[in-house]
Amino acid sequence: MARDHVSRLELDRRRWLKLGITSAAAVSLRGTLLAQSEAQACAPPIPQNHEPSNGGTCPYPIPWLDKNGNHNQAAMPDVELSSIYHFKGKLARCNGFHGMGTDNKGNRLAWGTPTTDYSYMAGEYWAARQAHKAVFAHT
Amino acid sequence: MFKGPAVPANQIHDFHSPISPEGLYWVTPVPSQGLTFSADGKTATLQMANVPIIDQPRWPAMDAETTPAFLDFKLVFTAADEPVRYEDAARQYRFEGLKANAQLEAAIRVPSIDFVFKTDPLETSKCDFAVMGSEVNGKYYETTKIGA
Repeated sequence: MARDHVSRLELDRRRWLKLGITSAAAVSLRGTLLAQSEAQACAPPIPQNHEPSNGGTCPYPIPWLDKNGNHNQAAMPDVELSSIYHFKGKLARCNGFHGMGTDNKGNRLAWGTPTTDYSYMAGEYWAARQAHKAVFAHT
Repeated sequence: MFKGPAVPANQIHDFHSPISPEGLYWVTPVPSQGLTFSADGKTATLQMANVPIIDQPRWPAMDAETTPAFLDFKLVFTAADEPVRYEDAARQYRFEGLKANAQLEAAIRVPSIDFVFKTDPLETSKCDFAVMGSEVNGKYYETTKIGA
């Protein structure tokens, strides 16, 4: 009877241990699957009907501006002012806007910060292995 | 340049375009009629209406929630006479242009919270730094002279 009790306890402990390991493995697997699914979303599409594969046609950022994990570099003298890489054209940029305004409840509010900046980039950029003409604004 | 936090502690809204899938920060396409230049090229007016943007008050927190909003704005750059040239061969960019003045007026709507904000008229706004001109970078840096 006592022996039965001990072996039942051992069985229970083993079952718990097994369950614990299974749960841990499931959590780990779920994390891996989530990471894989996120990575899959970044997979380039397979072209259908023999279409070419040249990448996306949208402009992309200045690669080396990512030193802070933030491409929104404040505009100032002697820095890259374009937001777009492989770009040539007209560009204007301003930074440090501030002023006052009014909301729909009549409250007077200040707007702007040292990094409130706007720009336009009008010209040619390179993406999908060819040149594109467009105008963009940084708002 | 500035000292102190980029986001003030008393900020209640932060309006900007979303970050694109390519990682481009807060850039939006402009319709062809949205950017106009004066005959002498010294004044540029960027004007857009109903630009879809987001309000992200807790930016730059990673989990900063967003609320859809809309922006109307008019931005006027006026070139001054002082030339500027910013170039970095290692980073492959060259900007040539003039120092400028820039003024902005805008209206913002956040329909889901019934919030509307309108700035005072264009003439009352101020900015700390503005330039206008031409730029080449990346693959165009070696092959293009500005103005070509």
